[in-house]
Amino acid sequence: MTAKMVSGNEAIALGALRAGVKVVSGYPGTPSTEVITSLWNKDLPGTSVEWSTNEKVAFEVAAASAMVGSRAMCTMKMSGVNVAYDSIIGIAYSGCTGGLVIYVADDPGVNAGMCEQDSRDFAVMADMPMLEPGTLQEAYDLTQYAFELSEAIQSPVFIRSTTNVAQSHGMADVAERVLPVNEKPMLERNIAKYTKAGAVIAMNQHRELLERLEKAKELIAAKQLNRLKLSKQPGGLGIVSVGVVNGYVEEALSIADELRIPLPEISSLQLINTIPFAVDEMKQLLKHCSTVLVAEELEPLLENRLYMEAYKLGVKVEFVGKNDATFSRIGEYDAKLVLKGICKALHLTCPEEVLPPVIQPEQHCAARPITTCAGCPHRGTYMAINKALRNLKFKSNEIIVTGDIGCTILGINPPFNTLWTEVSMGASIPMAQGFIYGGVQKPVLATIGDSTFFHAGIPGLINAIQHNVNLTVVVMDNGWTAMTGMQVNPGTIPDYQQASCRQLDLEKVIAGLGVDHLITVDPYDLKATTAAIEKSIALPGVKVVLARRECAIQAARRKVAYEPIEVNIEKCTRCKSCIVITGCPAISLGEHAITIDRAQCNGCGLCMAVCPTAAIVKEGK
Amino acid sequence: MSCDIYIVGVGGQGVLTIAEIISSVAFKKGIPCNFYPTKGMAQRGGFVKAQLRLGRKTVGPNIPQQEADLVVSMELSESLKAIRYVKPGADFLLYGSKWEPTAVMLGKASYPALAQVGKEVKAAGGKLHYLSPELLPEFQGKQVRDNLFVLGAIFGSTGVAMGFTAEEVLEDITHRWPKAAEQNLFALRAGMNAAAKEAVDDILV
Repeated sequence: MTAKMVSGNEAIALGALRAGVKVVSGYPGTPSTEVITSLWNKDLPGTSVEWSTNEKVAFEVAAASAMVGSRAMCTMKMSGVNVAYDSIIGIAYSGCTGGLVIYVADDPGVNAGMCEQDSRDFAVMADMPMLEPGTLQEAYDLTQYAFELSEAIQSPVFIRSTTNVAQSHGMADVAERVLPVNEKPMLERNIAKYTKAGAVIAMNQHRELLERLEKAKELIAAKQLNRLKLSKQPGGLGIVSVGVVNGYVEEALSIADELRIPLPEISSLQLINTIPFAVDEMKQLLKHCSTVLVAEELEPLLENRLYMEAYKLGVKVEFVGKNDATFSRIGEYDAKLVLKGICKALHLTCPEEVLPPVIQPEQHCAARPITTCAGCPHRGTYMAINKALRNLKFKSNEIIVTGDIGCTILGINPPFNTLWTEVSMGASIPMAQGFIYGGVQKPVLATIGDSTFFHAGIPGLINAIQHNVNLTVVVMDNGWTAMTGMQVNPGTIPDYQQASCRQLDLEKVIAGLGVDHLITVDPYDLKATTAAIEKSIALPGVKVVLARRECAIQAARRKVAYEPIEVNIEKCTRCKSCIVITGCPAISLGEHAITIDRAQCNGCGLCMAVCPTAAIVKEGK
Repeated sequence: MSCDIYIVGVGGQGVLTIAEIISSVAFKKGIPCNFYPTKGMAQRGGFVKAQLRLGRKTVGPNIPQQEADLVVSMELSESLKAIRYVKPGADFLLYGSKWEPTAVMLGKASYPALAQVGKEVKAAGGKLHYLSPELLPEFQGKQVRDNLFVLGAIFGSTGVAMGFTAEEVLEDITHRWPKAAEQNLFALRAGMNAAAKEAVDDILV
């Protein structure tokens, strides 16, 4: 073992390597992405690592590898579980042979956008164990244990982290990778296990599933992974916590010490997982304590279970947690919040230092809506959509433009203010159809990025084509899964695909579906892109405008040459058109003229296209 | 010894680089350290913060309100988001660079004045150290990286005890970027010397 500086996600990756993982698949999504990026382009003979088309595909790839005996893991953010769940629950009922681990990262406090969902509820529904590391060391250790547990119960196992664990960096003791066991794949044609053919099979699987979860509970208890500490005197306070909150509880006790808050001896149950419920340990604590404080982020899963166990035991315990509104189901925790709960549970007056200050200086903070990077091709597309709608004499509040997930969603923000909706991967096209079915008479547009289109956009477009909807879809192809930090997708150029992988041509894919009209444009060409959108809106049927240009960040990284832009100070009238229309972060308003930050500018030329005095020009021209 | 540091700024300023250097030096010294960056969509000029928790074995990643032993802000307006975290009496290093959002540039939105930010820091009990971006020096005709300049200022102006010295940070930086060692050391030293020169009360007028 050597101490290494790792992030939570890296610890998960290293834990899987230590466990001899043979297949790692996933789809990028903050805060889970770095598990696979930390393995990307590493020399790992015997192990396949891939970014799959979507989370469901990633899970199915991993699941079947585990069916034939390999250890396999797939990774995703919480929203990805929603996508993969149809297969996850199916495989949970079937079980597996090799260790099968699903890593999901939740985001209490919403650092990265999307729903603040508690994925533990998915473990409840599929009766699957879900381990919840609260430290980097636990992330490493529990990942290895997840594979062991999965093989011991012959069922997939979740690992769930939260943003603050996944993204934290610190020390962990890690060991060398263990090579995957390269035995002959175990072929087993077992209809009763691997299909859902008939009620008998399906209900048998349900029974076995419940038995497997029960077995997991016993194994975790036998390994004493959950830490139960009872006070010498019965009665008094017990604290139940799980995952990252375990650390906040300990910290809360040390703050209490510093503030000289007189605390009696406290019992505690620190859990490494919610599901399967550690019922035996819960019962011991409930029999011992008169008050129980439950500290868990998001939904009150442990708390509700503890109420039930107390009822079954017939013990009278006072609960402090979410049901009495001490804690919120929204946002992430910290030590002072937990300490506030401890004070309440002990009927102590909470010292002023523990309560949040009444000052709210951040209300005076300048709003900083994020926009597309300098040189982003999406800027050209949104400028063109807005211009096309103006040219066609539409008002901005009468044309619905649906948005989708990824960098393209920046079209909701100023200066574009183009998009109306953001729901889930691929939702833009079916929603546009729904608006039309709902009676919207004016044209409806859908926008979607390349990776999102491959992920879940294609079925929606097929649906629109089949049902002959009059719809304009703008597919913004920058060649990368960019928002999550530049991962490859099926459309990424071959140079960046893994060896033996190839690129799919998005234009051929769309044409192959049979859309009525397809126009491919370069979004740096504002005139042509505007004209293509205008033309598409006027045409009948399903029209796709494919706006293609590589992500500026990636183009710059691989040193794609461009012509720098400069400002003719004599001609610039400081009319601000370039700033108002493009919102490009490279442009700022100088005293005598606008200035362009050469470090950011990549010469896209969109500001030139909107300058009314031709003051912005390509350098030397 | 424990030391909690809360750093804020805007994507592109090097908030995370500062935090990474501190955590790397701590790691080499065997000081327990948890570094929790929150970058959101930082690459695109958004809000960035880093929480560093040094010297504690068991700790949650989030610094509770009024518990930071040191707050560092690299952007004037974003400073306001960090104020509630400063421990009364603890250091608040404010590097006053301004990254004005477009709406502010166009005169459509307001941007907080330095005096206003200073007052808020003081009201929260923070010990304000102001570092003017005008002090950012040039090295061979080019302005130095302000993240290293600010990192230097942490050592020059604040009394925060991280468990290591500026010299050990210099060493880390030298190994990290051997080719740019000379200019980086220059930037760090400039920060150390520039700090504490400003009369804090002047900015509150």
